[in-house]
Amino acid sequence: MSVVTVQLGQCGNQIGFEVFDALFRDSHCSQGLCSRRENEAYQASCQERFFREEGNGVPIARAVLVDMEPKVINQTLSKAAQSRRWKYDQHASFYQKQGSGNNWAYGYSVHGPRHEESIMNVIRKEVEKCDSLSGFFIIMSMAGGTGSGLGAFITQNLQDQYSNSLKMNQIIWPYGTGEVIVQNYNSSLTLSHLYRSSDALLVHENDAVHKICAKLMNIKHVSFSDINQVVAHQLGSVFQPTYSAEGSSHYRRNPLGDLMENLVPHPEFKMLGVRNIPQMSENSLAYSTFTWAGLLKHLRQMLISNAKMEEGIDWQVRPPISGLPPLGKMSLNKELHFNTSIANLVILRGKDVQSADIEGFKDPALYTSWLHPAHAFSVWKTQRAFNRYEKSAALVSNSQFPVKPLDVIVGKAWSMFASKAYIHQYTKFGIEEEDFLDSFTLLEQVVASYSNL
Amino acid sequence: MGRRRRRVDGAAGALPEAIAALSRSLPAGPSPEIFRRAKFDRPEAAPALWQLLFRLFSPLAADNTSVPPAPETQARFVKSVLRSQGYPRSALSQLPEDNSQGSRELLLALSWLLARGPLLERLLAQTRVHLGDHVPQWEAPASPGLPTSHVEAEGPVDLRQVQWLMGKLRFRWRRLVSSQQEQCTLLSKIHLYTRGCHSDQSLRHLSVAETEMLRDPEGGHQLLQALQHENARLEAALEWRRLELVFWKWMDTVLGACPPEGPTGASQPTFLPSIPGPRLGELELVAQELQALQEELQKVVETRWVTWEAQAGGLGRGPEWSTTRRALQEAVEQELVALRESWEQSRDPAQPRGPYRLVRSEDKDGKPGAQGLRAAEVIKVLRTQESCLETTLRQLQEQCRQELARLAGALPGLIWILPPRR
Repeated sequence: MSVVTVQLGQCGNQIGFEVFDALFRDSHCSQGLCSRRENEAYQASCQERFFREEGNGVPIARAVLVDMEPKVINQTLSKAAQSRRWKYDQHASFYQKQGSGNNWAYGYSVHGPRHEESIMNVIRKEVEKCDSLSGFFIIMSMAGGTGSGLGAFITQNLQDQYSNSLKMNQIIWPYGTGEVIVQNYNSSLTLSHLYRSSDALLVHENDAVHKICAKLMNIKHVSFSDINQVVAHQLGSVFQPTYSAEGSSHYRRNPLGDLMENLVPHPEFKMLGVRNIPQMSENSLAYSTFTWAGLLKHLRQMLISNAKMEEGIDWQVRPPISGLPPLGKMSLNKELHFNTSIANLVILRGKDVQSADIEGFKDPALYTSWLHPAHAFSVWKTQRAFNRYEKSAALVSNSQFPVKPLDVIVGKAWSMFASKAYIHQYTKFGIEEEDFLDSFTLLEQVVASYSNL
Repeated sequence: MGRRRRRVDGAAGALPEAIAALSRSLPAGPSPEIFRRAKFDRPEAAPALWQLLFRLFSPLAADNTSVPPAPETQARFVKSVLRSQGYPRSALSQLPEDNSQGSRELLLALSWLLARGPLLERLLAQTRVHLGDHVPQWEAPASPGLPTSHVEAEGPVDLRQVQWLMGKLRFRWRRLVSSQQEQCTLLSKIHLYTRGCHSDQSLRHLSVAETEMLRDPEGGHQLLQALQHENARLEAALEWRRLELVFWKWMDTVLGACPPEGPTGASQPTFLPSIPGPRLGELELVAQELQALQEELQKVVETRWVTWEAQAGGLGRGPEWSTTRRALQEAVEQELVALRESWEQSRDPAQPRGPYRLVRSEDKDGKPGAQGLRAAEVIKVLRTQESCLETTLRQLQEQCRQELARLAGALPGLIWILPPRR
């Protein structure tokens, strides 16, 4: 089943390009460590989901590009076309002549309704070209102006018009010390709106990815392009094909659906984080070998200690002994120690994947009391290697990781709100103080729910 | 001698034929020998009959590939379905659930089902081999579904777990709808591509089964076998209809062979669910409270009635009221007629009855033919049903909300926070 990607704003479009590029390059990679027939099945599966064929041309990405100004969209379109391996549909895009000056309210209340029909039209045309629609993958930033406000509006519309399709929003968490002064307002408003209309929020934090680039990939001057490539690598390792069941030889048809059913059925717990191991620069790749045992041990500890990469993991954090409350249990004043999970999905790709031992993830101590590991943990496998990593593992988890960052954002936004700073920018375009209060309430509720696991 | 023997032969010969026909027309029908043994309540006949009854009630579980559930589950399920359908004999509910006994009782139950309604016809319709593509029909299940393994809740269940499971269910519903949409798109493609391939002029294009037959001759053989199998069952059913009188006469003797039911048998109330001991006291309390409440209400009603009579006693009886009363009666009559009409309309021929084959037609004014229906009409009917169901759902939700609010109001100090609405 196919996924239609909606790339919103500068952030969404740049990341979207890297995602499609990573998916395409991986599916056409010759070092898949598997038979040719296997490789072809993998390619076909990836193709069906993210690309479509038209005549004898190169595959076309199933994507809709939306932005308020033409510059980034044109860059993205041409970059794809120049690669000559895949491209975007020229007509599957929407942009205006002028920007919106980073104003969330303007994006949500003005741009949104004004261009609603045209944008939904473009999306509809792309959907009609799918034989079967699994859902939408919406890439956007959280703290920006247009992308965020418009993104919230469009997600709401998708909820109304395509209520049976699944919706996953890929949101980019801004740098803690970001440039936009109202980014905490924007983030709060975006998150609260998305929480109501989206099914799953997949979060990537700029700070965390930046560290990965600097420490693991040894990049001296980390640019947005580097960050986007890491994000794309992580997303690719989640969405590329995997076998549908233990011992099956068919690839899973609806990964979005399977993922959501396993991880986010509860309406209060919709936030997902991705961790990937190993992550390194291409140069180092050739000189490294790994064992599944080592990789999974690190991944498990990354989960427990809420680490975002495999360096600098805190090995002191241990799961609680059953019956006793977890170490350092929730009071937000203290450092969060043990990261309790609600549900986890581990995706294994590469050589000897059948021998990988994932028992460590089935420990009930890792999970909240009301969900048994049999229901909370799932694992997907394929022996086809991803992106030339001989063995790689990804973890998509619904756990307490958003508590602290969310609390920080809401706290800062609330302080600004208490002194009514910059509110007029929002009220000018129809976002009233009550909407802010609603947003804060919802997010506080989310923080409380996650803290009380 | 010869004549008598012929008569005896005739009677004796018809019974095995009748039973054989019945057994051939039932899905997974037990052999005639089982029937004979069951008359004498032989234990070895019991498992086959338990399985047959189970199979009759849960056609979904009759899929050959799935593992049949344990005998206890089967037996419990069969008993509960028969009970809910009103099976009058209490001896059935007293049978042990280990498949070891009760073949005569089960035989009686089977005959009761056969006598009550068009059982054979319904079964044959369920397993019908379809050559065309069909409008998926959703029928309300006549009997409750197979009970899944009963999970004993140890202690309080965390509400979040229930919400989690509800969410999973919702996701699966959405995915089901997506798959159905996919199926429709693909069906449409096949119908489009095979235009002009069908020999039957009124159909004009192939269905999926027919396309598969052309692509894969082996599949065609299997289809042919399935059709032959179905044919055999239909013939057996026809023969059964011819001979069934003999069977019913024989069943009388089976009934006669049963030990008479206890004196309380006929007047025994319908099977009550067993109440665990310690709760019995609570129930008595509740019963007493309800009694008291009823008496109170009666008193209130009486006083109200008396006061109303006093106030309005003279009204409504004078000559000037007769016209108003007549007008009211006419209005009510009209409403009733309108309701009846709308009821009739909603049961009009556009209601899909029985399986309909999907045919894609190019002409806009194409007549669907005597037996046919236009998709637009069916859609209209389904939409009205949908809106009726939605109104009912909203009413029920409102009732639930009010009930919850009442319960929440009864607990002091409880704050009610509604989920965020857009």
